[in-house]
Amino acid sequence: MEEELQSLRAEAEAALAAVTGPADLEGFRVEYLGRKGRFSGLMRLLGQASAEERPRLGKLANEVKAVVEGLFNARKEELEDALPAASPVGDLTLPGRRCPAGGLHPVTQVMEEVCSIFVGLGFAVAEGPDVETDFYNFEALNIPPHHPARAMHDTFYVDEGRLLRTHTSPMQIRAMEQASPPLRMIAPGKVYRCDSDITHTPMFHQVEGFMVDRKVSFADLKGVLSLFITRMFDAKTPIRFRPSFFPFTEPSAEVDIGCVICGGKGCRVCKQTGWLEILGAGMIDPAVFAKVGYDSEQYSGFAFGLGIERIAMLRYGISDIRLFYENDLRFLAQF
Amino acid sequence: MKCTEKWLKEYVAVEFGPDEIAARLTMLGLEVDAVEPLYPGLDGVCVGRVLSVTRHPNADRLSLCEVDDGGERARRVVCGAPNVRPGMFTPLALPGAVLPGNFKIKVSKIRGERSEGMLCADRELGLAEGQADSGGIMDLDPGEFSGLVPGAPLAEVLGLRDTMIEVDLTPNRPDCAGVIGLARELAGSAGLPLGRPEISPPELAGSEPPFAVQVEAPDCLRYCARLIRGVKIAPSPWWLRRRLLAVGLRPINNVVDITNYVMMEYGQPMHAFDFDRLAGGRIRVRRAKAGEKITTLDGVERQLTPEMLLIADAAQAVAVAGIMGGSESEVGPETVNILLESACFEAKSVRATAAALKLATDSSYRFERGVDPQAAPQALERAVKLILDLAGGEVAPGGVDYREGVVDPPLLTLRLGRVNDLLGTDLDLDTVAGHLAGIEIHGERLDDQALRIRPPSFRVDLEREVDLIEEVARLIGYDRIPTSMPLVAMEMPAKADNDQRHRIKTIMVALGCHEAVNYSFVNPAHGDWLGLAAADPRRSMLPLLNPLSEEQGVMRTTLLPGLLENARHNINHQCPDLRLFELGKVFFAEPGSGLPREEERLAAVFGGRRHPGSPLLWEGEAAVDLYDLKGLLEELLRGLRRSGVMLVPAKESSPYALPGSCFDLRHEGEKLGEWGKIHPRVLKAFGIKQELLYLDLSTSRLLALPAVRPTFTPLPRFPAVKRDLALLVPEEVAAGEMLAAIREVGGKLLEHAEIFDVYRGKNIEPGRKSVAFAIHYRDAERTLNEETVAVVHQLIIDQLVTRFHGQLREA
Repeated sequence: MEEELQSLRAEAEAALAAVTGPADLEGFRVEYLGRKGRFSGLMRLLGQASAEERPRLGKLANEVKAVVEGLFNARKEELEDALPAASPVGDLTLPGRRCPAGGLHPVTQVMEEVCSIFVGLGFAVAEGPDVETDFYNFEALNIPPHHPARAMHDTFYVDEGRLLRTHTSPMQIRAMEQASPPLRMIAPGKVYRCDSDITHTPMFHQVEGFMVDRKVSFADLKGVLSLFITRMFDAKTPIRFRPSFFPFTEPSAEVDIGCVICGGKGCRVCKQTGWLEILGAGMIDPAVFAKVGYDSEQYSGFAFGLGIERIAMLRYGISDIRLFYENDLRFLAQF
Repeated sequence: MKCTEKWLKEYVAVEFGPDEIAARLTMLGLEVDAVEPLYPGLDGVCVGRVLSVTRHPNADRLSLCEVDDGGERARRVVCGAPNVRPGMFTPLALPGAVLPGNFKIKVSKIRGERSEGMLCADRELGLAEGQADSGGIMDLDPGEFSGLVPGAPLAEVLGLRDTMIEVDLTPNRPDCAGVIGLARELAGSAGLPLGRPEISPPELAGSEPPFAVQVEAPDCLRYCARLIRGVKIAPSPWWLRRRLLAVGLRPINNVVDITNYVMMEYGQPMHAFDFDRLAGGRIRVRRAKAGEKITTLDGVERQLTPEMLLIADAAQAVAVAGIMGGSESEVGPETVNILLESACFEAKSVRATAAALKLATDSSYRFERGVDPQAAPQALERAVKLILDLAGGEVAPGGVDYREGVVDPPLLTLRLGRVNDLLGTDLDLDTVAGHLAGIEIHGERLDDQALRIRPPSFRVDLEREVDLIEEVARLIGYDRIPTSMPLVAMEMPAKADNDQRHRIKTIMVALGCHEAVNYSFVNPAHGDWLGLAAADPRRSMLPLLNPLSEEQGVMRTTLLPGLLENARHNINHQCPDLRLFELGKVFFAEPGSGLPREEERLAAVFGGRRHPGSPLLWEGEAAVDLYDLKGLLEELLRGLRRSGVMLVPAKESSPYALPGSCFDLRHEGEKLGEWGKIHPRVLKAFGIKQELLYLDLSTSRLLALPAVRPTFTPLPRFPAVKRDLALLVPEEVAAGEMLAAIREVGGKLLEHAEIFDVYRGKNIEPGRKSVAFAIHYRDAERTLNEETVAVVHQLIIDQLVTRFHGQLREA
């Protein structure tokens, strides 16, 4: 009996090693471990053993069965784990079933990115009318009729007093008329100038931003705009502030970044200067504060404006601004 | 404003070259637009001395010349100029030189004779602009040019090595519209003194002049004049012509060139009259009379109006003040006596007149921005001196200096605290005063906290304390102002409309649409192309006064035409599969002079394949249809959480929609928008050869509906029971109404019902169709038993059969 048990164990081990699939495994279970299987058969023979031998042999039989069961379970898990690897693959070079999404216009993408940076700094977003009055677009911004600065804006007129805004700066006035400081705001939108060539379209997009509070300084302007540029471009982008003139800011600045095309060595895009003009800015002129009834001895502020198309052109390497408004799908699908 | 490196260096002794000059000016706010070496074509051109001239054996008009180029051996050069003679010094272009016009000089054979270079005329070297053809090669006079030795670089000998620097002046800096002004800025930046032409203004009021000046208008601030008799009008000398050409001015004659030269130097426009052609020998500065005319120097007769300021003689207008002289009193070859004017006119007056006459000149450019009223006598005297030197003549003693309009610049206080607060700096008063003094803005110390400053007269832009603060910022350099972040109270601004807009756009994009952005101005013919009725509000388009073209003449009242134009563009470029949308404003003229009403809308066009860009293998060529559009709208409404919007047949088809294929979006009777198929007539009008679907809705109205806030429904704990159901119904029965009936009858137990098949054809009698539904029943409280489901399901069948004349199809 003892010998039989030992040889059954050896046979079972060998049989289990030969098992390769679920069907074999089930066959093994029935043959060895089933109700009518070989272990059960041996156990039935136990009754023929002598009374003093029976406990020892019973214990031995149970031990052997437990070992075989353990081996069976281990083999079973092994086989289950191994199964998926065997599943057949089709022709994976066939295309996936895609239901392609469309895309946002590149101007929208850049606009949203610009806005999100300033929103993160706590700037509110405001919008105003595209058709503006001469007062908001010019007069209130310290640009009286016939001022030479008007020559910098080729204006589309609707009639004597109404025009298509030439910049988003009128929102400065509209916002300051409606609220008192402190103010932090950006105003994105379409602007219009009668000009059309490879770098100008008669409509384009700007984001105006401004901040008014006690003791806001030019150093703050530099800080906020430098942060913006490092987020919009990258932290290593060289930045240069240089004096300029806008009637509604004083001091006024143009902000340049190191040319992203040539890396500052000088190329056609940067007109060999190594720098690209990216935005205009300055401290809000006291004359503008006077128009909205703010006391410029108490409050100061900065304002800035940037052109979205210009940034989009630099970012994506677009050479002709007019492409933005043809809405050619071969163009739109690239962004 | 153009100047040259050498010209600048006459007034400020900076050591550095043009690039550094440009960099400094730019960082001072005087942005340099261009730095161009002058006469770049002269590299490779040297002085040659003609040793001998013999007749070319094969050509009558050519000579063979032996030319000394400073080398050991003379060069053989073939020359066609009639004036070539032995002993002559003339420019010699050596092989390898590239003359203006990309003319490359090579060793060549001319009619069989070897030629090792070219003897040059001034025209060939780009040196003859603004003068008559001299009819031969340049004859360099050893008396005029020192260093005239064979082989010497020509540019060196002629003093042509110079660089043009062009500054893009901002309107606030008229003081830099003269070389001296630019030199002052450079001097301040380099800490060097500013030199000036040596002149002492004469005592103009000393003796009675032989002419009279009468100023009758307050916008003439200053008027200085002197008379020079017996001048000899001739071309200017070479150095003067060259200077003017370098800064883009055309040389005319010595007197006119000098007035221009002094203008470029001082920024003070000047004018010379032929004195003998001034009626009555007098000048009147007055307003134009109604109907008065003048023919200006450019030969154009100009109609004047009574606001315009004129210079007149006893009889008629002789100049438009500060803008352009009249041709009647022009200085020409016969002129002998000249009256020289150096005046200052009010900026506003010149601006208005220049704008009205549409006439912009170098003079008006300066007066419009503001000319230094104190510069007039110096500039006048500088010009007088130059004229006496170059044109001869004799200046009449005395002159006129009318100066009643000159006002002293305001006395300003510059507070140190204010400077540092506004700039975020920590400067002391000495530093501030020192920087300002560098550009001749001198201050008097009030205490250790403030300066009292009367700005110099040439800085007409300095009127307020803040203007001085800007000067300080500019002079210390923006790069040396610290960079800080503002300390502000934390605040969370309210969400703006553009969040909603972003939501709409991202849903449209997720649904496969590309965003388009079109111009806000469109073709006025679009109304006709769309077939809009005369009374349609979209006909009242706001016109622009000065559009770039008629196709961009009016503000759009609908987004559709722009998208239809885009569709045509794409179809014509072999991209017929379209899903394009635009979210933007339309504009409606309102009665009165107020601003137009601006409304935001969403429009889209669809055409070609159902899913552009999806693999043909899986999706095939199936075309987009109205159900795609309906699904897109349903998905958009779901994404925006707007409920209760019905997609229903339009009460009245839009003129641009195919009749019967026009649908509305309605909410409780209010029309929010519409969708459907574009009418073939409209497609034709827009030149589109393909079917298109469209949608057009008012986002402002849609977003005005309340958004449904999601509320949680517990997940079901008991299983659902699923049943299918198919009925034969008459063709005219709407499947959606059957579905509504199922939901109504199913009551609480009905969890979900949808149509899964609509079938006509084989085994179905004509005029009927089979509609099949999948229905899910579920009880939230218990596991449903078959009996309960059977009761409800039968109830539904009975209702459908009765209501819709249906007939149950057995499975």
